[in-house]
Amino acid sequence: MSVLRLATWGWLAAVGFAGFSTFEMKYQVAQVDDELGRVNRLIDADRDQLRVLSAEWSYLTQPARLDQLRKRHLALAPVTRAQLGSLEQVPFRSGETAGSPLASAPPSPAASAPVRLPGGADLASVKPGAAR
Amino acid sequence: MKPALNLDENPCRPRHFKPAPCGALPVEGPEKELLETSRMRLVLTGVLFALAFALVGFRLVDLTVLKGGDTKLGHAHVRPHTEATRADILDRNGVLLARTLESEALVAYPKLVDDAAAAARKLVTVLPDLNQQDVRAKLSSGRKYVRLKRQLTPEQQFAVNNLGIPGIKFETAGFRVYPKGALTSAVVGYIDSADNKGLAGIERGLDDELKTADDPVELSLDTRLQYILTEEIQAQIAAFNAQGGAGIIADANTGEIVALASLPSFDPSDMSGVNEQALFNRATLGTYEMGSVFKIFTTAMALDEHVTTLAGSYDATNPIHIGRFTIHDDHAKRRWLSVPEIFIYSSNIGSAKMAVDAGADRQRDFLGRLGLLAEPKVEIQEIGRPEWPSAWHLVNTMTIAFGHGISVSPLQMVTAVSAVVNGGVLHRATFLKYAEDYRPAGVRVLSRQTSEDMRRLLRLVVERGTGKFAAAPGYLVGGKTGTAEKVDGRGYARKELLSSFVGVFPINEPRYVIMVSIDQPHANAKSMGEATGGWVAAPAVSRIVQRMAPIVGIPPVDEDSPEIRRALLVDFAPSLGRKIAAD
Repeated sequence: MSVLRLATWGWLAAVGFAGFSTFEMKYQVAQVDDELGRVNRLIDADRDQLRVLSAEWSYLTQPARLDQLRKRHLALAPVTRAQLGSLEQVPFRSGETAGSPLASAPPSPAASAPVRLPGGADLASVKPGAAR
Repeated sequence: MKPALNLDENPCRPRHFKPAPCGALPVEGPEKELLETSRMRLVLTGVLFALAFALVGFRLVDLTVLKGGDTKLGHAHVRPHTEATRADILDRNGVLLARTLESEALVAYPKLVDDAAAAARKLVTVLPDLNQQDVRAKLSSGRKYVRLKRQLTPEQQFAVNNLGIPGIKFETAGFRVYPKGALTSAVVGYIDSADNKGLAGIERGLDDELKTADDPVELSLDTRLQYILTEEIQAQIAAFNAQGGAGIIADANTGEIVALASLPSFDPSDMSGVNEQALFNRATLGTYEMGSVFKIFTTAMALDEHVTTLAGSYDATNPIHIGRFTIHDDHAKRRWLSVPEIFIYSSNIGSAKMAVDAGADRQRDFLGRLGLLAEPKVEIQEIGRPEWPSAWHLVNTMTIAFGHGISVSPLQMVTAVSAVVNGGVLHRATFLKYAEDYRPAGVRVLSRQTSEDMRRLLRLVVERGTGKFAAAPGYLVGGKTGTAEKVDGRGYARKELLSSFVGVFPINEPRYVIMVSIDQPHANAKSMGEATGGWVAAPAVSRIVQRMAPIVGIPPVDEDSPEIRRALLVDFAPSLGRKIAAD
């Protein structure tokens, strides 16, 4: 009899717990869902901003405009042939030549290959005269 | 079953109660078995239910007490497509060329507006740039729907919303922006923003794809090269006071168009006051008699069909009289010319004779194979139909040999020239970017040997012939000049020229074919009274090559190095027994 009582109370407690936690869970889900909606709206807004800003960026980086700005503010010019060369054209300093294993070794095939330009604009800052 | 005999032994038994007609449990027999099975089934079902409930219970405990559970990310939030949705257009390096932005438009349903005058007064307080009379007129017009203002800022939208005027609504509308403006309009085109419909260029050619695609459309164009090409053509138009110009830079090995210019051009974001001339795509829709650049095909045909060899020669002493035509040379040498000489001095007489040797059928077949006799199939629809004689007489064979009597578009020219120099494989022209390592198959149209011979000849034109101004120090440019007299009514107008140059770079291992055409250039003092392709278009190609080489990563070379000399050597005039190389 008493065993039965105990079990009944136990089950009642379990049912109560289950009911409460289900309710609690549903409430939490609704909250998280609201939060998700809010974040999604924020993402949308940010994406819109990004779309507008990157369009603006593309507009501001029109080559013709950059060219004008370059002429007005910078002393840079497009890369010329004189600025490009291969590694074997680089002279070693006389002091280094004696003991340096690098200088005495025959030039590797990679070193003799002409220097390739990565992007054009990067080397534009090197003035023809600066290389001597 | 045994009858229950002693039912009435219990005196307290209610009168209406009858015990179940079963007695003590059977201890054996089929009844017992039946009972056992039933019990087993009961127990099994019970266990199953218990397990199921336990599972639910555990999950509940897990979620509430232990706060467990893995939080997997759901699908990324994607906005649904709308009427105004249109994919971005990018260049080959991801530079934005066209994009649809969304904004709120202020609209009104006048029938729902109670007091038009008051509504107009209120609206003007928050949107000062609206005209109060105007708004009032619109609101009392009795129409079903009016649009009051486009592109509201969020602040303005908030302010209008706060006014709380009935019948005033917002509507999301898309508008297309073209950040590079006129620079890329010849390829990108433009749309009618009211109904999101492409009207020209890629916007028209790929209209359906752009409306449905989630990902941006990547073009083969390179905005940097596009700028260089446009600027250099513009410079030549200005220098020679020309009517317009066109230019194309194509990848010789894939057919991708990396730059295409048609000048004058238009800005797709501001279509007001744009004239027909600016909308006309000279590089793809315009077909022209190209003049001497066609000798590339005549010579290639003669070499490929073994009609002659580089050692062959033709008599170019006297002009050819045929019917009412006289074919003469602009740079007349009045003697026998070797095949390389015919090419580099651009001899009409020699080319005509070469074509006659090959015959009309072979000429037509060869030009057809190079795609010069049919409309090219590309992603844009502004494509010109080539014009050529239906009856291919002897005189047509002769004039077509030097590029008269047949009209093709610059787009067809670069496609065909690419095939001639790249080893002999024709690739369909495309405005869409191929994957980095993708090499389209193409169709072989002439032999590898012919292609190599042609590269040597094209280099010779720049080194010693009519295309000297196309030379770019440090870079190996080859090419062919062309100066065509434009058709004027029935005859040719001697003063109205189309001056072109088709360049190939680097000529020893072609990567790019560059074509520049200047329409109706006027000779000036600096060009010593000349307005030919060699004077007008070739210098532009030289500057384009020098500017683009560092961008596309082609290193400068020593043009006089023995390897390069050997690779591009042509036995110049063997049959004539004299060394012209000395001059």
